Amino acid sequence: MLALTRKPGERIVIGDNIVVTVIEIRGDNIRLAIDAPREIKIYRGELYDAIAAENQQAATPINMPDIAMLKALQIKK
Amino acid sequence: MIIQSTRFGELTIAETDIINFPHGIPGFPEEKSFVAVVNDPGSPFSFLQSTTEAYLAFLLADPFTFFKDYEFVLDDQVDQELGISKDKPPQVFVIATVKEKLADMTVNLLAPIVINSQKSIGRQIVLEKTAYGTRHQLFPYGLIEQQVTQGGR
Repeated sequence: MLALTRKPGERIVIGDNIVVTVIEIRGDNIRLAIDAPREIKIYRGELYDAIAAENQQAATPINMPDIAMLKALQIKK
Repeated sequence: MIIQSTRFGELTIAETDIINFPHGIPGFPEEKSFVAVVNDPGSPFSFLQSTTEAYLAFLLADPFTFFKDYEFVLDDQVDQELGISKDKPPQVFVIATVKEKLADMTVNLLAPIVINSQKSIGRQIVLEKTAYGTRHQLFPYGLIEQQVTQGGR
């Protein structure tokens, strides 16, 4: 992993088309501007982590009798 | 072709049944090939089974059955990638999580699964600027016993 020190106004260039600019630092908060192609999705880390964690939980097998119940379950529309 | 599933045993599927997830699924970035398993066409539930990992299957729910007002806007870029438009609306599912009891089942409305079945391509979309979360209860008033035991209607 690469760790860099930057000051407000300074930039980091990643590859040919991603630029991260430090806009301001106020207390604990750092404001960043990220310039990237539209196909690059940018998420707050904790949001992506929450979804990955939820998927991991969802993938845990549930027992079979419950599945049978589910099959019988019809929701009235 | 035949795929192995811990939940369903051996499944015989056609190449055309395979739904490609080019980005994988958050938490499973290497899993790019799934098949939909529909036990009962009348049910709002179905499964998304990995074609390469037998153990990996997600329980999917039709969000609109449970959340009539569920809505979101897809980026143009996602529309383009999945080949969807007003004339070619996608199928939308949400992933359900069951902990111990079926009645406590939750669904992830924050990250729906969007599929274009004609192009056999899908993606789990992380919605932005939305009030939806990863754990919405499907049965906030509990399961009605009759619904479960009688089934049908």
